[in-house]
Amino acid sequence: MIVENTQTQMRKGILEYCILSIIGRDETYASDIIAELKQAQLLVVEGTLYPLLTRLKNNGLLTYNWVESTSGPPRKYYTLSAEGRNVLEQLDKTWQELVFAVQTAVKKNNSL
Amino acid sequence: MNKTIIININGFVFHIEEDAYEILKSYMTDVKRHFLNSADSHEITTDIENRIAEMFTEILARDNKQAIVEQDVNAVIEQMGKVEDFEYPEDGQNFNNAGPFNRGTRTLFRDGDDHLLGGVCAGLANYFDIQAVWVRLAFFISFMFFGVGFFLYIILWIVVPKATTRADRMAMKGQKLDLHGFKKNLEDELTAVRGSLSDLGHDAKPFIYKTRDFFGDFFHHLGVFFGSAGRVLVKMLGVIVLMTCFSLLIALIVMIIGFLAYGKMGLYHIFPFNVLEYQLNTVILIAAFLLLAIPLLVVIMLILSAVFNARGLNRAAGSTFLSVWIITLGVVIYYTAKVSADFRHEEKFSQSISIKPTASNTYYLSLNDVKYLSAEDSVRLSIKEHFNNRVILDDDDADDVESPNNVSIVIEKSDVAKPVLVESFSARGRNDADALANAQSTTYQFKQQDSVLKFNRHLEKPLNNLWRNQEIHLILKMPLNAKVIIERPLARYIDNLNIYQCNDINKQHDAPSTTFIMTADGLQCKVDTLVTVKPYLK
Repeated sequence: MIVENTQTQMRKGILEYCILSIIGRDETYASDIIAELKQAQLLVVEGTLYPLLTRLKNNGLLTYNWVESTSGPPRKYYTLSAEGRNVLEQLDKTWQELVFAVQTAVKKNNSL
Repeated sequence: MNKTIIININGFVFHIEEDAYEILKSYMTDVKRHFLNSADSHEITTDIENRIAEMFTEILARDNKQAIVEQDVNAVIEQMGKVEDFEYPEDGQNFNNAGPFNRGTRTLFRDGDDHLLGGVCAGLANYFDIQAVWVRLAFFISFMFFGVGFFLYIILWIVVPKATTRADRMAMKGQKLDLHGFKKNLEDELTAVRGSLSDLGHDAKPFIYKTRDFFGDFFHHLGVFFGSAGRVLVKMLGVIVLMTCFSLLIALIVMIIGFLAYGKMGLYHIFPFNVLEYQLNTVILIAAFLLLAIPLLVVIMLILSAVFNARGLNRAAGSTFLSVWIITLGVVIYYTAKVSADFRHEEKFSQSISIKPTASNTYYLSLNDVKYLSAEDSVRLSIKEHFNNRVILDDDDADDVESPNNVSIVIEKSDVAKPVLVESFSARGRNDADALANAQSTTYQFKQQDSVLKFNRHLEKPLNNLWRNQEIHLILKMPLNAKVIIERPLARYIDNLNIYQCNDINKQHDAPSTTFIMTADGLQCKVDTLVTVKPYLK
């Protein structure tokens, strides 16, 4: 149970970071995000993404534009808000620190 | 050839085969239920529906066809993911969706997290799945009825264990003891902790919380004492309480059988029953019986289950007991209110009776102690109908219960030269007219036999009239210089004279009568200068 919980927490944080990072590159449609995350093997099904996007949007990190589509209903294209960009920068920094921390700690473990 | 259905997904119309539609419908139901408790549920499901519509459009364009079939729906669902595969549910989301309707059996514990005193009420509320405030209200009301609630509360406090572990608390609330249950419980608890932290300033204030802390400490130490003395003490206490409850219950049962089988006739003039219509006595009796017997029964069963690990109350029985008890409480309250309404107004009327003056200006005041009814009395009271020709003896004992002191006599100076008796009848009723009718229906027997004035001990009311505090105040007005000799049995009915003091002065403590003289200032004790003569002692 503890293992599960820790894994969930780790994956959850990283997933959010990756989503922000993908959207940070360009205006993005949900299925494009899915494609990338699937490639990165972070996400398996689309259903997981929608609640996350809605929450990030409601927290003010994302904004979206409706774009008419030739194949079906209009699409929501997401971009980072100023705040989202700010958060992404901080997360970038944090990620570097985490990578360093984990590498250092794990290296010590391995050398023992 | 298959039948197709036309569906509309957020403004986009699709032809879909019936089988495929059933699958899609159940999938969307799952999705909606999954996000039901999320604040953004509408937005999320709309996003998902839009995406499904888009995928359908793509499929139709790619395969160059017009209807969605089962494989298409399955492919879309695979892409979107089944609800079970959705990861990371949002905060407050009901992941396993057990809901409040699918609960396991509950165990009775005291709730340490939601308590004012010992958490008994909250525990019961958890057990019966109702709000704690109703249980508290029920206890508070029952406090006022012979303190039933108080004793019940203390006993429950002692015998019902407190929920200490997480498993206890979950069993108390009927949550399933599985992984999802634990997770949900933990989340609920964290939310509650956050809530109570913000309420801390508010919570710390009221007096009741301080009192609770004090009592909490007290009972904590009591608990430690019992713990160290072992469960033996608890069991002994259990046995004592159990035996008390059993004997009370048996007494109650014997009483109600006795009353119902034989007691009705003898009961109608005893206090709580003489105010109510005769036919209702059975209802009141049964209500009172249940009101007292149910708590006893519940206590017995709880002790059996708590101390002796026997099978306790199940939930259905508990709910039945509680509802029956509340109904009987309602019945008793209803009739109490009804009867007190019948006592709201008071009316009185007076009449004067002339008393023939005697030549010697001497009057003997005596109590009519004739134990057998006279011929007129028999006719007046319809003896034949009511008593089957049995001989009626005056029942001295019934005096105090039936009509406590409903006759009172005051002796004053008369303004005229002859004695006058003013009879002032009073009674209560639901309105003035009713009260007056109640007063007028009463009769009082006063007789003059030469110089002897005989006062009856009772005010009489017709047999089928109810007790409405019918009273008579007699004002006996005596002319100046009249010699008033009051016989001892009448003394206790006279309000404004200290007959015993007069006897003291005359050193005749056991005198059968006491003599007074009417003066300008009222009745004065006649001090007998010849105390040794004692004319009335034989």
